[in-house]
Amino acid sequence: MAQTVIDTANHIAAYAAKAARVQVVAAYPITPQTSIVERIAELVESGEFDAEYIRVESEHSAMAACIGAAAAGVRTFTATAAHGLVLMHEPLHWASGSRLPIVMPVVNRALGPGWNIWADYTDSMSQRDTGWIQFYCADNQEVFDTIIQAYKLCENERVLLPTMICLEAFILSHTYMPVEIPDQEKIDDFLPPYKPKWFLDINNPLSHANIVSPEWYMEFRYMMQESMENAKQLIPEIDKEYGKCFGFEHGGLVDKYKCEDADLMLLTMGTIGTEARVAVDNLRKKGLNVGSARVRVFRPFPKEEIRKLAENTQMFAIIDRGISFGMEGFLAEETKASLCNQKDQPLITSFIAGLGGRDVPFKTIEKIAEKSWEYMRRGRVEEETVWVDLRE
Amino acid sequence: MVVVPKTRKEMPVTTLSVPTVGSAGKTGFWRDFRPVWVELVSPCMYDCPANNRIPQIFEKIRNGKLEEAAKIFLETNPFPSITGRVCAHFCEEHCNRVEYDEVISIRSVERFLGDYILERKGETGFHEFSAEKDKKVAIIGSGPAGLSAAYYLRKMGYKVTIFESEEKLGGMLTYGIPPYRLPKQTVEKEVAALTKMGIEVKTGTAVGKDVKFEDVQEEFDAVLLATGAWKERDIEIPGEEFMMTGLEFLKGVNEGQKASPGMAVAVIGGGNTSIDAARTLKRLGAKPTILYRRTEKEMPAVSEEITKAKEDGIEFRILTQPVKASKKNGKVMLKCIKMRLGEPDDTGRRRPIPIEGSEFILEFDAVIKAIGEKPDTTWIPKIFLNKQGWVKADSATGVVSENIFAAGDLVSGPATVVEAIAAGRKAARSINQLLNGEEIKPETSLEKPVKIEEINVEYYEPKERAKAFEFPPEERTKSLDKDETLAISLEEVESEAHRCFSCGYCRACDICWIFCPDAAVELKDDDKPEFDYDYCKGCGICSTECPCGVIIMEREEE
Repeated sequence: MAQTVIDTANHIAAYAAKAARVQVVAAYPITPQTSIVERIAELVESGEFDAEYIRVESEHSAMAACIGAAAAGVRTFTATAAHGLVLMHEPLHWASGSRLPIVMPVVNRALGPGWNIWADYTDSMSQRDTGWIQFYCADNQEVFDTIIQAYKLCENERVLLPTMICLEAFILSHTYMPVEIPDQEKIDDFLPPYKPKWFLDINNPLSHANIVSPEWYMEFRYMMQESMENAKQLIPEIDKEYGKCFGFEHGGLVDKYKCEDADLMLLTMGTIGTEARVAVDNLRKKGLNVGSARVRVFRPFPKEEIRKLAENTQMFAIIDRGISFGMEGFLAEETKASLCNQKDQPLITSFIAGLGGRDVPFKTIEKIAEKSWEYMRRGRVEEETVWVDLRE
Repeated sequence: MVVVPKTRKEMPVTTLSVPTVGSAGKTGFWRDFRPVWVELVSPCMYDCPANNRIPQIFEKIRNGKLEEAAKIFLETNPFPSITGRVCAHFCEEHCNRVEYDEVISIRSVERFLGDYILERKGETGFHEFSAEKDKKVAIIGSGPAGLSAAYYLRKMGYKVTIFESEEKLGGMLTYGIPPYRLPKQTVEKEVAALTKMGIEVKTGTAVGKDVKFEDVQEEFDAVLLATGAWKERDIEIPGEEFMMTGLEFLKGVNEGQKASPGMAVAVIGGGNTSIDAARTLKRLGAKPTILYRRTEKEMPAVSEEITKAKEDGIEFRILTQPVKASKKNGKVMLKCIKMRLGEPDDTGRRRPIPIEGSEFILEFDAVIKAIGEKPDTTWIPKIFLNKQGWVKADSATGVVSENIFAAGDLVSGPATVVEAIAAGRKAARSINQLLNGEEIKPETSLEKPVKIEEINVEYYEPKERAKAFEFPPEERTKSLDKDETLAISLEEVESEAHRCFSCGYCRACDICWIFCPDAAVELKDDDKPEFDYDYCKGCGICSTECPCGVIIMEREEE
């Protein structure tokens, strides 16, 4: 029987790992990820969760251990955040280049200095070019579901790339919400055991991640890009299948809310997307035709869906909980890049909001929408990048 | 099994490798290829008839060891001071450096080193000798082939006796090549150093005339015939009695007869003897004209000498064939016919064809014919000759019959000094094999030389080659005896040593050691590489970076 639990997204992530029948976990604790690995450790210790838990001295080693385990052909899990993730940067490339389907929740936290443990996307965004698939979740249920979906996706022969499940610090990681955990049997049906094509075996020796000459390196890179494109196709399919089995769907690549007739569309990620739904309802009451499109998958980036949305709207208001210094918000960048060479592009304003855990409630989003609506009405974007609620 | 995919579709999703024999190191199965340090053949060494080990010589120069450098020369060529001046420098023909900027001035370096040790060569203790042997070898003829053989045989410990019909040793070196190209003191010093090694010399002794061939054969355990090619060919036209031969003329000059046979002198032929004769005449104050029946392109003389002859102001009458010589009022009237070039003959050169009715007459004070030499074999027992009258010798070993050997121009016909030196060395080797009771085997032929593609030229600074100073024509033509070029300086020699790509020979540059990402290259005491296959991942960076092309990647066995 499916059961409903009320718990934090971190604990939910631990349960998801267990439900996915993960075989090896190697992790190093870091706020605000700690309670994921603590809960896993408890579950493993108590015997409820049949996995090998490898204690390591750093995130770099954690990822190295996961690479080893995944290369040995087992389902592998880890989790990290912020400085832990950026310390992992180098082995992240080894994992993706070796095409190992490791799943890793990243509890998004600001990077110091100034020292800050609260929500911010700069940590995972700074890893967007590592060849990892990146999901961004909006609530605890989505965290659970996405972890299960992620294994199904990344173990697919057409993908074979590691996956990050990004969730914002505290807003999700430490916030209790009801989550439905499906029957283990049904999960097992949905997610069969991992059967790799190659794995390290002492009886049949093999080595991976070897040197490759310029004559072949490019082809390996091309195949990774191909896999990202395949993932773009598979994510909505898997999300739909999951919905059919368990009743929860999260919008595939982009979670759309009242977008069909929207003149103005709010483009968001993660929990800001949840708040945006409230804002949309309130704005519609005021007579403003606003919709919300929450980008759920940042890598592969849903270029085609963004283009489709752009065809039916006059303006995008993009909210980013992160900034690429010297340019603009990450989502704004990618959205604009996706529209290149397209006819009749909508106006775009980019908003930087919620850095370092600053709250972005629906009221703030409504203000953002109203400001954008005004630009739209005048047909001119006066400020291309707006820092929301920035002190004078 | 090593599977190398052909298309992207056949590729695994990531780089995977399975063990091949020898690929298992301490860090996994990384290698399909392993680096191997090899010594390969440089183009200079390959093209040099004596196979002088030039890259090794340059290494010694870079290390400041000039005497050792010179001694490496002596291993393959006992007379670098001579070849350093007169050699046709085959070594510079395909020097890989030409693909980059300019060839290395190998001959100039050779001259420098040859002169550097010339003073010391005669000193006791300079040469290392093998234990004295009681076997005796006779060498008939003392040109470069004979002297070279004498040098190597003496070093091997044999009792060597040279029979020379002339008063002095040296053959062409003494009597043929004019002094402005090869100063006679240089030859004398080389000969003196050689005789000091304990070689018995019988000059003024012509075998077959002054002593019987059979007696020599009887007395000695082995006999080497090396009397060269001194007989001038006849043009086979009427009036040849009014001409002197090129070698007669040059020999006379070298013996001190320093007067020209006349003012206007014709030199017939396009070979080295002809050019030597013409340039010598010019230095004796005459006005020589070279007559040649083909064009300059077909001239067999060394192109450098042709160029110099033209610089000297010597007139070339090409496509001109003398058909008759006669004497009138003390002058030689030379009737010639104009020629045109037809199809290539068996030498690959276009055949000259007379143009009917184009005869004309030229008037000269004297005419010298130099259309090519051939060996005089009249003194050699017939059993050692073939139908054409040439010595029956194996060109690789010099073997004629049992204990009779032959080398140099006598076997090959007129060739270069370095070819004669190489032939002498090879004959000495064969004689040693015979006298040791071994099977006579030729030297193993060299592998194909290293190509420019195998050299990493990025490591070399572009730099001009050192050019030996040449006296301008107006100055050099004033003197017969003065060396027309100067030696390059020690600084220039060192610069050339640094310019050398050291094709196929480790430069001990440490580049492989620096670049190896896995610290799998170790350097031995001489800074040459050794690979630690426990850690080598077969990446090939050492091989790609190697500035000398000496690290090759060998496929691991499956």
